[in-house]
Amino acid sequence: MVYRLAYQFAGNHYDAEDIAQDVFIKVFRSLDRFRYDAQLTSWLYRIVMNACIDHKRRHAPAGWAPFTEDAELRMANTPEEGPGPEDQAYGGQLGEVLEAEIARLPPGQRLVFTMRHHEGLKLSEIADALGLAEGTVKRQLHAAVHRLRAALTNARVTTGGAA
Amino acid sequence: MTHCELLDAPDIELYFYGELPQADRVRVDAHLLRCAACRQRLDDLHAIRRALADRPVVDAPPTGDWSGFMRRLGAAVSQSPSADQSVDAVGRGSAVPAARTSIRFAAAAAAMLAIVGVGIYAAFRVREAAPISRQTTNVEIAAHPPTGPAPAVRTPDSSLREVTAEHLERSKLVVLGLTALDPKQTHAGDWQYERRLAGTLLDDTRLYREMAQERGMDDVARVMRDLETVLIETSMSEATDREALSRVQRLIAKRDLVVKMQLVAAN
Repeated sequence: MVYRLAYQFAGNHYDAEDIAQDVFIKVFRSLDRFRYDAQLTSWLYRIVMNACIDHKRRHAPAGWAPFTEDAELRMANTPEEGPGPEDQAYGGQLGEVLEAEIARLPPGQRLVFTMRHHEGLKLSEIADALGLAEGTVKRQLHAAVHRLRAALTNARVTTGGAA
Repeated sequence: MTHCELLDAPDIELYFYGELPQADRVRVDAHLLRCAACRQRLDDLHAIRRALADRPVVDAPPTGDWSGFMRRLGAAVSQSPSADQSVDAVGRGSAVPAARTSIRFAAAAAAMLAIVGVGIYAAFRVREAAPISRQTTNVEIAAHPPTGPAPAVRTPDSSLREVTAEHLERSKLVVLGLTALDPKQTHAGDWQYERRLAGTLLDDTRLYREMAQERGMDDVARVMRDLETVLIETSMSEATDREALSRVQRLIAKRDLVVKMQLVAAN
């Protein structure tokens, strides 16, 4: 579960291993502080999410924050590197197009979408783990899906509806 | 075209993901009947789900080889100040922490998460049996060659013990992963992942068990047999068998597998 999440967030093995390593170290260090009334998986998810954010922060410009409106605007205008959805669509697979677009999402949106869509966490659980208001998490999800819809539409146009 | 009041709201996403209260679901249901744009948005979400469901799940380093990752992790943990503190704590004696852990475990077990509790308890016992101290010691030995008596001569048995200890360390992560899952809430992908991991360990486990039997290393052979049983039960289970994880967890607990693996790996 740890590696899968790390890979979904990072999009490459190099960073995924880095994140997974951070997670295991944090688990080891903080196992003593695990609250027995908490779900182990929830606790682990929280550590993974924070490790993803920490990893991104370490590789981002000074002052970067994943969930502020300013950061979202900056990130929205600064796509992550990688081929765009239209380039991907020519490759054929809609899933690949969407994965590429997920990799281009701002990190906050990517994390929220991954945790909700792939892992099935409730928005309240995600908000709790990230220390955010639930409304913020809803907006992140909405924004992420909005961009994926746009990618889906582009792919359909590009492939003449075959995707 | 009429203006849709939900155009800029997250309601359709929340509806799709089952995050709306019942009253709001009814409201959105009614809205969908009359709004083609929102029906399209909902269809898009289904299309996204279908498309992503077909993508391969990447849940391990390339070629499934964890050895490099484990080496780097061991080195990172051994260099961590917190790890040193933990080693000290372990070294000062584990009786009191063990008792405290047992009490806390009993409280946890008395609550509803009995199976998960077993996993946590096992994890604590493993830590108290000093897995990290062994890793740290290995690193220290590598960094500071011994100056005292000549090192022990490596024999086939000692070499087998070394490789089986490494195998048990790798396998322990999988076994702990299995004990930590909640059978009622485990994502199908997680269960599939664990089954696949178990399958990758099976051949080596069988090989080490046979080698240990041939050389009369009964303790290694026994723990490998128990591990093999758990790996077979896990990897051969049907993906849709909801009871399989519970059976595997009972098996691990019944055979006290995590502790046995730790003891044999530490010998």
